Amino acid sequence: MEIIVQLTDQPIATSMAPPAELGNVGSWTEFRGLVRGEENGQRIRALEYEAYPAMAEGELRRLLGELSAKHPCLSARVIHRLGIVPVGEAAIYAGIASAHRAEGFALLAAFMDRLKQDVPIWKRRALPA
Amino acid sequence: MRILFFAHLKDVTGQAEVEMTTGELDAASLWQKLIATYPGLGRFRGSVRLAKNSEYVGPDARFTDADEVALIPPVSGG
Repeated sequence: MEIIVQLTDQPIATSMAPPAELGNVGSWTEFRGLVRGEENGQRIRALEYEAYPAMAEGELRRLLGELSAKHPCLSARVIHRLGIVPVGEAAIYAGIASAHRAEGFALLAAFMDRLKQDVPIWKRRALPA
Repeated sequence: MRILFFAHLKDVTGQAEVEMTTGELDAASLWQKLIATYPGLGRFRGSVRLAKNSEYVGPDARFTDADEVALIPPVSGG
């Protein structure tokens, strides 16, 4: 499986092109995790994320590789934003290409669960509204 | 060795990273030295994982002065 991982302090594009090599791709599953306007019952205007970048990129690649053995997919592109992310903007983007939708849905769901356990990225603080 | 602190552990230690010369030691000894220097870390020990050179390691890991060691508190990405 082709894996592309990116950490960025820039906004994540609202539209992302599917993989250039469509070949056997029959499903392009996209997910964006947005910053909610409320954190722990308080209205907020943004979240600040920090990471251990070298390890976070390695863990993202390792996780995607590991999960693709169980849920065979063709490519995965993951972008995680760092720094201050305003409410309503995406903190994470994942795009999974697969031959059929079932593998893409399964890989994406499993990946997001594992991301929240193993990848060294933190919500550093919430900025009040 | 280079020790990295993240998230609230930066607030506990007052810094993002520190250089320590320890010689070779195991995880328990490393924790002892860290807590002796930064007593506030003690209460987080149970929830913090150690990483050596950007990979998680278990309690049997050994560390040298050439290693980069990170204290990884519970993550919250996504």
